[in-house]
Amino acid sequence: MKQVAYYKGCLASLSAKELDISTQALAPKVGYELIELESVTCCGAGDIHEAEPDYYLHLNARILSYAAATGADTLMTVCNVCTLNLRQANHQLLNDAALRERVNDNLEQVGVPRYEQDVDCVHFLWLVAGESFGKLQEVAHKGLRGLRIAPFYGCQILRPSKLMGFDDPDKPDSLERIIAACGGEAIDYPAKIKCCGFPIIQAREETALAELIQPIEQAKEAGADAMVTPCPLCHLSLDAWQSKLKKQTGKDFQMPIFHLSQLIGVAAGLEDAELRFKRHVVSMQPVLEKLAL
Amino acid sequence: MKVELKIWRYDTSTGERALRPYEVDVTEEATLLDTLDAVRDRLDGSLAYRKSCRMMICGSCGMRVDGGAVLACKTRIADVVADGHVPVVSAMGNLPIVKDLVVDMDPFWQKMRAVQPYLEPRLDRATEKENVVAQEQMDMIHKESLCINCGCCVSECNSMESDPDFLGPAALAKGFRFVGDARDGATIDRLERYSEEHGIWDCTRCYFCNERCPKGVDPRDAIAKLGAEAMKAGIDRDMGARHAKWFVTSAKTTGWLRETELVPKTQGVVKAIKEIKFAMSLLPKGKIPLPFPPHVAADIGESRALFDLVTDQGRSGAAGIVQGEKALMHLAHHGESVDGPSHPYDDPRSFPKPYLPDEEPAT
Ligand code: SF4
Ligand code: SF4
Ligand code: FES
Repeated sequence: MKQVAYYKGCLASLSAKELDISTQALAPKVGYELIELESVTCCGAGDIHEAEPDYYLHLNARILSYAAATGADTLMTVCNVCTLNLRQANHQLLNDAALRERVNDNLEQVGVPRYEQDVDCVHFLWLVAGESFGKLQEVAHKGLRGLRIAPFYGCQILRPSKLMGFDDPDKPDSLERIIAACGGEAIDYPAKIKCCGFPIIQAREETALAELIQPIEQAKEAGADAMVTPCPLCHLSLDAWQSKLKKQTGKDFQMPIFHLSQLIGVAAGLEDAELRFKRHVVSMQPVLEKLAL
Repeated sequence: MKVELKIWRYDTSTGERALRPYEVDVTEEATLLDTLDAVRDRLDGSLAYRKSCRMMICGSCGMRVDGGAVLACKTRIADVVADGHVPVVSAMGNLPIVKDLVVDMDPFWQKMRAVQPYLEPRLDRATEKENVVAQEQMDMIHKESLCINCGCCVSECNSMESDPDFLGPAALAKGFRFVGDARDGATIDRLERYSEEHGIWDCTRCYFCNERCPKGVDPRDAIAKLGAEAMKAGIDRDMGARHAKWFVTSAKTTGWLRETELVPKTQGVVKAIKEIKFAMSLLPKGKIPLPFPPHVAADIGESRALFDLVTDQGRSGAAGIVQGEKALMHLAHHGESVDGPSHPYDDPRSFPKPYLPDEEPAT
């Protein structure tokens, strides 16, 4: 069992608790002991990076410092946006000694340990599709019975690739490999690497919905039983904003949306209480019935 | 070296569109542009594409390879056709096609014009002698100054696809090139204008522009710098700005995003009330966490103290982003090529644009 520091971020702590619960249940099965970080805050979700960039850097340095304090060399995230924000700050600190020194002095002044021991920040997807892929194939014994799953990556786990770099940003395949390993069939459709519209869903709803409809509609047309995403923000817009699409376009997609940890969790035989599908807005029932057959 | 490729042809006179296969012999060192020259010289003199400098500086030869915008003269064809891959070459997206690989750059230039891409000197500071600008001040706009107006960043911009009036990555990056210029006197005016509808806060942060830009401008980062400068100047009426501000407040007060209050803080109470029906539909699912008691992170005092400390250190606004750029400079774009599923861009739905001149941009 490998120890990793676990940063769950805002959404998995709040509106997407089912993501946290299923991740905590699944992680040991694929070889990880999660050390949850207590004294951490929001990564800023790109918003603090835009509003108060220097504060963004310090908040993320603080998260990295507490991750390093666990003694683990890996900080695991379950959100695209957290991953980009933390990796960006981490790259800046690791490659600029003067900047790191200044940030560390500031951390120290307010009582936060200096960020000295480097950690690598990675998304859960990368662990499962990478070093634990063999384990995954062992645990996914219950399988997905050929369920047709549309992978949806979202933006910030692919781009900018110079900061992310796990998948080919234009031709990713980690989700497809996981779906196949779990006994599902991955559906291919072009919008899987595009934006779900979440960052502007409140400020520019119309533009955001025009983005959101593309992946859902294409997945539906391709015959997907459900979609899966590694990002709780994508999950929120894909799942909760479907009703808005219906209101705006008259199209009622009823497309069930899995969090990545739930999809693998189903294949690995996690209990209902560990998956919490009842917390979704779009009913997961049709998919679960197919699996029960 | 034998090269196979397919090119989307568009004939203005007939309106006919077709994906045509070609096969030519080129040298190992040939670029995509050299390859197109070979196609035109030896196979089909009617093939239309733009070029001038052949050395990545004029910005004429932007086009899509397998759906992603590149400069033809910067792209080695041997890398593209490795392992027998047959690339699909087409015109850039988000701009109307004139013929074959040539797009009408007019909408691009209109947006450039809209940001007033020229220095508006600070007459208040006019001196007898020349105006010396310190190196650090020019470093602020180093990246944005590298832009060659090629349009590659615009080609896959997700927000522009959904809102064709969005100023877009190239024009906004140009905007920051002047906002960040110590000699410019119209900063506040610019920030006001760029903060309007279709401006800074339209960007959906898809990062396609950073991924595509062949010159390392990183337009998305330039947009963040504009946002940071606008908010520093107190220009924060836009919902996007208020949204961003609420994250800062949340981080300082509870540490975690105060999700439930985000909607009224962003949209204002009146609009938020209109959203109540939608909100109520999410309530039973726990998607609207109750704000009380607040979910407070441990040691939240540290986060507040950090805020107070760094706001006194003079790196607010764009300077806070620029300070991290040196460290990122050495990172090259990468991502291993894999024998994955079919290429997402092979599908004409991947990006509904490029659209033809007689078509309305889809909204
Ligand atoms: S990050 Fe913003 S400007 Fe850049 S391509 Fe995406 S939506 Fe367009
Ligand atoms: S920002 Fe980059 S991609 Fe966009 S026009 Fe300028 S050089 Fe081209
Ligand atoms: S021909 Fe000038 S940039 Fe390619």
